Amino acid sequence: MALVKPISKFSSIIPRIGNSRLPSSRFFTITMSSTTQSQAATVTTKKKAGKKEINESLLTPRFYTTDFDEMEQLFNTEINKNLNMSEFEALLQEFKTDFNQTHFVRNKEFKEAADKMEDPLRQIFVEFLERSCTAEFSGFLLYKELGRRLKKTNPVVAEIFSLMSRDEARHAGFLNKGLSDFNLALDLGFLTKARKYTFFKPKFIFYATYLSEKIGYWRYITIYRHLKENPDYQCYPIFKYFENWCQDENRHGDFFSALMKAQPQFLNDWKAKLWARFFCLSVYVTMYLNDCQRTAFYEGIGLNTKEFDMHVIIETNRTTARIFPAVPDVENPEFKRKLDRMVEINEQLIAVGQSQDMPLVKNLKRIPLISALASEILAAYLMKPIESGSVDFAEFEPQLVY
Amino acid sequence: MLASTSLNVGSLGGLIMNAPTSNSHKSFLLNAAKSFPSLTFPSKFSGATAWKSATPVKTAVAAVDSSDPTEKEQEQAEKKKYYFVVANAKFMLDEEEHFKELMFERLRNYGERNIEQDFWLVIEPKFLDKFPDITKRLKRPAVALVSTNGPWITYMKLRLDRVLQESYEADSIEEALASNPVDIAFEKPEKWTAPYPKYEFGWWESFLPSKTSKV
Repeated sequence: MALVKPISKFSSIIPRIGNSRLPSSRFFTITMSSTTQSQAATVTTKKKAGKKEINESLLTPRFYTTDFDEMEQLFNTEINKNLNMSEFEALLQEFKTDFNQTHFVRNKEFKEAADKMEDPLRQIFVEFLERSCTAEFSGFLLYKELGRRLKKTNPVVAEIFSLMSRDEARHAGFLNKGLSDFNLALDLGFLTKARKYTFFKPKFIFYATYLSEKIGYWRYITIYRHLKENPDYQCYPIFKYFENWCQDENRHGDFFSALMKAQPQFLNDWKAKLWARFFCLSVYVTMYLNDCQRTAFYEGIGLNTKEFDMHVIIETNRTTARIFPAVPDVENPEFKRKLDRMVEINEQLIAVGQSQDMPLVKNLKRIPLISALASEILAAYLMKPIESGSVDFAEFEPQLVY
Repeated sequence: MLASTSLNVGSLGGLIMNAPTSNSHKSFLLNAAKSFPSLTFPSKFSGATAWKSATPVKTAVAAVDSSDPTEKEQEQAEKKKYYFVVANAKFMLDEEEHFKELMFERLRNYGERNIEQDFWLVIEPKFLDKFPDITKRLKRPAVALVSTNGPWITYMKLRLDRVLQESYEADSIEEALASNPVDIAFEKPEKWTAPYPKYEFGWWESFLPSKTSKV
């Protein structure tokens, strides 16, 4: 999927917060996790057979699973005789074209650049590659399974899922080869079995993956265009591939757009509006908090982390407004002020986690911080939203001037 | 090694994608051998030139110039369907930067696979006169993305969303893509906060039909 699967997966790690789906509690879990050392992913050192463990980072993406029976029902052409297939057929043609069939070819520049890289940048890069590889691979697993499950009930949609899993596998493989430049490799087979899977109902899979693909596009293209303008910061050749690469992400997002349009009940009521705003906000906040903990990476490639993130958030939000029925008003300066306050509180939370205090004392110190963070997030959620959506559904469409 | 090095150069080639290349003819021929991976590079550059030589536009120009009636009849037999999405020029050419990326991606792909170009950008197209329901809702100048590939236009409608979609038939490609000349200018955006510059004004020129027929 994307560089970042922005929805964190931490509800399972902190049991006392629970797994509630309520917006506010999910935010608790996101932030809490920043103070938690999570389980380690296996990274094998290639040359010496010894195993080296690295910490799974905060940005480590979720592995998703969903209600496959419901998915089958939703896209069963027998049950849904009115399912608009023209957009899916158009998308299938695009995916079959396979624009990036010959794009992901490595060269010796990779290894040379990796050898030149020294800590701390080197370490940040490894983490970046590992996170991105896991994110792409998680997309591969989900899409692959959906492709398999929908084969009988809707062969067109199923084939698109399979072709998207092809893209994800290609991306993950390319990133994993990047790790080999640093004498590391992700054990993807192990990850498949060992990682926890987060369950989302289909409706939420659509929201989450749509956002993940579109935000991934905006992150990649922004980095690509910035580095094209500032080639001195081009410290590892993988970024040169981003322009073509991120077109895949953008197309994947289009497919989820079509899936949602085919199921307008996920877009057209007040509940959909609340969920749409919630998913946008959780994705943006998570990305902002996480990236602000990794400013060294963005500064290492010559970007100002907060400016980069705000650009990505604003553009993703504009894109998302073409399909989601409501989106947060991220261009209101108050939105960024709230994000910045969240970053400050989050930094204090991290400091508590890293202190030498007893666990009980740590938890007591966290309480006021968490409530402060929660109220910031809630306030951001309650900011006046922007009504949005595809013009295909808009009541005012006949009056619209193009 | 050759393959990978050349591909890498190719990925930097966006800037000079439309620059004429001296070896375009050679790479055009080589493109037929798809299995040879190093060809990604030359084809990237030759794309624009490659289809120009193969496009039906040339034939059509010849047919119009000629007074041979049999040739004219042949032209008429080729009544083709054209699909389009249309919106104001500012939206199509200035605001939607991902649209530019998709256009060049497609052009690259056609070049790599030696496919004849079947999509164009038409500024102030004449065919709009046939669609009063569209024109009354359209800010001017308008720009249409036209293609003979219907599903692709459906896809572009999905992507761009804020566009109107229709189709028409035309006897010749000139008729289909005829336009009323108009100057286009965009005001600079009030605030540009992206950490990169905008795509250059005029990026769309490689997709205008005039470029494809008068080479």
